[in-house]
Amino acid sequence: MIPEYYEFACPTKIISGFKALSNLPYEMSLLGAARALVVTDQGVAGAGLIKRVHAVFEGADGVIGAVYDETPVDSGSEAVRAVADAYRGHECDCLVAVGGGSCIDTAKGALIVLAEDSADLKAYQGAERFNKPTCPFIVVPTTAGTGSEATLAAVIRDEATRTKMALTSYRLFPDVAILDPKMTVTMPPHITAATGMDALTHAVEAYCSLQKNPMSDAFSQAAIRLIMRHLIDCVRNGGDEQARLAMANAALFAGISFSNAMIGVVHALAHACGGVCRIPHGVANAVLLPWGMEYNAGKAGDALAALGPVLGADATVTGAIGAVRDLRARLGELCGLPETLGAAGVEAEQLDAIARVAIDDGSVTYNPEDVTYDDALGILKNAL
Amino acid sequence: MGYRAKKAVVAASLLALSTAFETVSKRSPEMRAEIARWNDGRAFAMGVLPRGPAITMRNEGGRLRYAGPGYHDPDVKILFKNVDNALLPLTGRIGADIAFVQHRAALHGEVAHGMQTSRALAIVQTYLLPGFILRRTFKRPPRLSARQWFLKAWVMGTLPFGMAVNFAKR
Ligand SMILES: NC(=O)c1ccc[n+]([C@@H]2O[C@H](COP(=O)([O-])OP(=O)(O)OC[C@H]3O[C@@H](n4cnc5c(N)ncnc54)[C@H](O)[C@@H]3O)[C@@H](O)[C@H]2O)c1
Ligand SMILES: [Fe+2]
Repeated sequence: MIPEYYEFACPTKIISGFKALSNLPYEMSLLGAARALVVTDQGVAGAGLIKRVHAVFEGADGVIGAVYDETPVDSGSEAVRAVADAYRGHECDCLVAVGGGSCIDTAKGALIVLAEDSADLKAYQGAERFNKPTCPFIVVPTTAGTGSEATLAAVIRDEATRTKMALTSYRLFPDVAILDPKMTVTMPPHITAATGMDALTHAVEAYCSLQKNPMSDAFSQAAIRLIMRHLIDCVRNGGDEQARLAMANAALFAGISFSNAMIGVVHALAHACGGVCRIPHGVANAVLLPWGMEYNAGKAGDALAALGPVLGADATVTGAIGAVRDLRARLGELCGLPETLGAAGVEAEQLDAIARVAIDDGSVTYNPEDVTYDDALGILKNAL
Repeated sequence: MGYRAKKAVVAASLLALSTAFETVSKRSPEMRAEIARWNDGRAFAMGVLPRGPAITMRNEGGRLRYAGPGYHDPDVKILFKNVDNALLPLTGRIGADIAFVQHRAALHGEVAHGMQTSRALAIVQTYLLPGFILRRTFKRPPRLSARQWFLKAWVMGTLPFGMAVNFAKR
């Protein structure tokens, strides 16, 4: 059924495949850029991935002006400022994020700071706050999870107030996303599993969201099929490039889906777990996803049942939830992915604080069922 | 309906909200609990882009006061992209959540503050809107206690007077 009203946007050019990274200098030239600031982190650089980026500039017209490799996990306002300074200091003319969601979102923050020529990101919190033209922006994801390479969102920690700033703008879509399996084969099994479950959560939550639409539904289903078929292979055999390419696409599709349909109670709780207990985003999602599906079964039963066969189960809500639980259990056996919040390091005394933060998360708006403090606490207790 | 008529309906609905926010924040324990966490002086505005009607409400000592028409240094703004988009939720045809879901409104400011504002708005609507609209627009329609029914009658009864007082504040 066509919804009463919907909007859809994905202006990002997708380049996916073996040796896709080699196109980076050419894509820069198409955007009128010749001097890149590469935004990455220690883990990505340590895995030898920045060497690969340097290599593709051999014989090319463009150059790497500088590499910023100090991005902290979960991004931060200090890093955003440092990236903007490096960009100006080294006279770069485009941003190239090479990393997971943390690096990509840091680059998105710098995009705003540079366009607005203001270091105060706080002034741009909320939706569609800035509309100045941005510099060319290319993303090379090295995790297969956040889908931030094709979303309009950035989440950045404000070190001063210790809060997470959420910024959304159509200006934050990267110009180009380059998916190259060589850039994700180095991901260790537990990060592969957690980020893969983040992608699955995006796809499932977008499919049950109040904002779901035919386009986002198609991307969600495509993402879920790929994840069910290839995530285990990536965890078992990290070097399987076919499976890695499939997962990179799955995360991208899930990102396109949720960028246009938003997410729900699972992400509200996962963001809060990240904020209060610093547990990795994908791990929190993996633990909470089945509980969130169960919570929404009353309002989104039809959508969840329809996902059953897509998840490889029968067309029932219990089938869909069971399939997610089974996948998580197999990942638990393979790489120790936690199945409870307790196992992930959350203490019972922290649940109250998590629930308080969760109900103030924007994702709650898009969740089919209402989420009060008591509701949030109830889900957290189940998941402990 | 032409633009001017729509604008008048939106302006009147916002004015009704402004006085309902004042009454409910004075008398409803749920609302007082919600606002208790807001810092003093925190303000939110609701309005229509680009130059349509708007109101600003400010927390003064745990109660919401009407700060006047337009934008008076608000921390968060709920902005409807055009007058049609404002009309739908303000006349009870869609819920406040759905206004965001359908991209009809955009939030400017800290998202947590926006969510707190949405909850305050939902509490006010409980007292302002008839049951059949609440059943259609709320994810979980509220069931009112005797005390809440009494307050609802009070809010409705004092609405015309409150609107007249707030209309004079310009
Ligand atoms: N903007 C969005 O749309 C969006 C959506 C979801 C999540 N996020 C944000 O993204 C962040 C999480 O991103 P993430 O899950 O991609 O993790 P991440 O970017 O924080 O990376 C996790 C760890 O993996 C390492 N790593 C990454 N790629 C590697 C590789 N190929 N080989 C070896 N090590 C590698 C990194 O160095 C880091 O230590 C969170 O802050 C979350 O809030 C943003
Ligand atoms: Fe996520």
